[in-house]
Amino acid sequence: MTSPRTFFLTLVALLVLCFGLGANLQPKFQSFENARHQSDNFFSLLLGDSSRMFANSFFIKADAYYHSGYYPTIFDNNEAFKTPHVAEDTGAVNSKNQGEETSFMGPPRDWIDAFGRHFIPNRHTHLDEGGATDDLSTSDNVREILPWLKLSARLDPDDIQTYTVTAFWLRRMHKEKEAEQVLREGLRNNPQSYEILFELGRLYKESYDDTGRARNVWELAARYWFNLSPDDQKENRLILEQITTNLGQLETDAGNWPQAMNWLRLAQKISLTPDALQEQIDGIKWKMSEQPSPLFLISGGAFY
Amino acid sequence: MRNIFAVAGIVIKELYRRKDFYVLFILTVLVCLIMASVNIFNDKQIVRYLKELCLLLIWVSSLVIAITTTARQIPAEREQRTLLPLLAKPLTRTQLIFGKFLGCWLACGLVLLCFYIFFGALAASRDHAWPLLNYFQAALLHWFALGVVVALALLGSLVFAAPSSNSTICFVIVATSLTVGRYLDTVALSQAEPFRSVLYAVYFAFPHLEWAFGMRNLIIHDWPLVDWGFAVLLILYLLAYTAAFLVAACLVFRRKPVN
Amino acid sequence: MNVILKTEKLRVEFSSREFRQATKVALAGLNLEVNAGEVFGFLGPNGAGKTTTMNVLLGFVPPTSGAAYLFGIDVRQPIARQRIGYLPEMTYYYKFLTAEELLRFYAKIFSLPRAETDRRIDQLLKLVELEHARKRPIKSYSKGMQQRVGLAQALINNPDLLILDEPTSGLDPLGRMKVREIIQRLKNEGKTVFFSSHELGEVETICDRVAIIHQGELKTIGRVHQIRESYPTLEKAFLNIIGYQPQPAP
Repeated sequence: MTSPRTFFLTLVALLVLCFGLGANLQPKFQSFENARHQSDNFFSLLLGDSSRMFANSFFIKADAYYHSGYYPTIFDNNEAFKTPHVAEDTGAVNSKNQGEETSFMGPPRDWIDAFGRHFIPNRHTHLDEGGATDDLSTSDNVREILPWLKLSARLDPDDIQTYTVTAFWLRRMHKEKEAEQVLREGLRNNPQSYEILFELGRLYKESYDDTGRARNVWELAARYWFNLSPDDQKENRLILEQITTNLGQLETDAGNWPQAMNWLRLAQKISLTPDALQEQIDGIKWKMSEQPSPLFLISGGAFY
Repeated sequence: MRNIFAVAGIVIKELYRRKDFYVLFILTVLVCLIMASVNIFNDKQIVRYLKELCLLLIWVSSLVIAITTTARQIPAEREQRTLLPLLAKPLTRTQLIFGKFLGCWLACGLVLLCFYIFFGALAASRDHAWPLLNYFQAALLHWFALGVVVALALLGSLVFAAPSSNSTICFVIVATSLTVGRYLDTVALSQAEPFRSVLYAVYFAFPHLEWAFGMRNLIIHDWPLVDWGFAVLLILYLLAYTAAFLVAACLVFRRKPVN
Repeated sequence: MNVILKTEKLRVEFSSREFRQATKVALAGLNLEVNAGEVFGFLGPNGAGKTTTMNVLLGFVPPTSGAAYLFGIDVRQPIARQRIGYLPEMTYYYKFLTAEELLRFYAKIFSLPRAETDRRIDQLLKLVELEHARKRPIKSYSKGMQQRVGLAQALINNPDLLILDEPTSGLDPLGRMKVREIIQRLKNEGKTVFFSSHELGEVETICDRVAIIHQGELKTIGRVHQIRESYPTLEKAFLNIIGYQPQPAP
């Protein structure tokens, strides 16, 4: 029969072995690239790269909440929901939606399907338009999408769209401070993001009426856009159009007409509606002829 | 009927003397209160995510209680040999089955009452609204759906040898019904025969518990009440399945040796 | 004499689940009668068919052929069990209930009125000496206490026929004495007791008549003193009747 002393000594030996192995392996583990333990994000630590999959699910969840639960599943026709409407309604994304959004379920397939539709949300609504109650006084309920957007941002800090969409809706709810916090958090995680800068500029311009900061931020966004590769520029023309048209409008309102025309001409090169922009340019020319404005040096030949 | 209620009373006593319900209830309360304490952009009126989480936990907890409580009823009586002195009384096997069913179902009803009261209080703390009729309708349909689950688990406890295998199979069936039950016909269309026919048969034959489950979304997103005519039809549908499973259980139990 | 318990050519067969295994005959045409007011001992070696007989009488097992009656009613009718009490060999009851709750539950099944139930519970708990533990859950009881609860639940409906399967099994001598006293008291009250036991000394003391079965067949039935007429003890009579041959010493 083994004595307690033998048990004790065996235990001590095992502990020493464990400690020695741990001390030996720790530096190797520390040196792994992109190791999860280096992350300061709780969800990245817990889930690793699979947190991105959850992030997308929660972004879709926000859209489902935006529709008060009336939302297609993978079994339904989701052609009209390829781009979440919470993002599409911000006007800042290229929408891929096609088809009818009010009847993605199609006609009932059988009596079971027909009967079951009485127990699920069965009408297309948007939360900011009264939601399920059709009562515009309840449009504030669009706040209900925020938890899912926040969670999505936490799970995938590199997804820029989450920050811009969240900020857009926070602004609509008159939560400017919170919107700014979200965008700044997005910039910390994505320092070169022109989309976030553009949204930040919109915040300064529309909510704070701070045209100086808006201009600075939009010009920075444009610079970052021009740092992209030609292929990436081809994919992201919409955002540049928005940046340049907004800058053009800002300069027009400020009376900086030559600068305004420069921005509008730049926008015209990539816009799908150049005629509308030409009208604006013509308008400025007419104003200039009526009332000459001080000349401003055009900075940076790199803008052409 | 007195015998049935007597047996049911014992089942309910067992439920509130075991720890299962209290553990699940406290867990639900804790999780919901923790989630409620999260600051979401300094807005204290956001409530739907809480409602969704709470209702999901209620459904999971109620299914766990329904299935585990029911699955062990007859096997535990057999194992602990309490079945012999019980059936030696003027109590038929049919009365025993109905008594066990009634006890488990009523116990589930009490559990749901506690959970939905908590849910209502949690929602009202932010909503400042009490749509009692909506909650009542959802809870009622939830309860009748649990009746089907209890009857299924009772039948399973007579067919399968071990409570654990019965519980597992019941959970799989219920989870499948709740998640993809609505779409089995769509899935069937994309399959080749004979699997297509099998799926169609399952789609039409199995109880569609997801109709009661779908009430969650109506509560979360403040949809109006479901027409009471359809609600009553659903209740009748669920009762029909409950009765079918109970009759099958009685037939199986009649042929089973007691010891 | 009023026949309380009767079996007529009772035959029970169990088909084996094993491939090519013969059907086991547990009872082969058992004919038995027990009269009102007597204490009847049902004896036999292990596997003789005693428990099977009781299972048929209680409706647990259907007979393959033949019939069994309690108070003239076929045992397959639940009403046949309205006036009986049953104590199984191994006594287990709902562990989460107290003795009082258990008795109240069984009283409900017998449709006893509430006042009668309260009176019976007090009386029985006093009889089996469990008054001090009436509010404690049964899971905290010792084996002897559980046996006594079993006896109490068998008597809750003031039965006219008591069926006991080895009532003194696992009890200490004091416990056995108490059980014997209870059986004697019931006999004095005119109740009928039908019990199986391996304690032949007890059987000799309290039984009016005994039946001995072996391998599913009834070997003998009659008064104790008649059966052991030519033998010094009932045990020797029993061994002889079942055909036991002692092995010669090496």
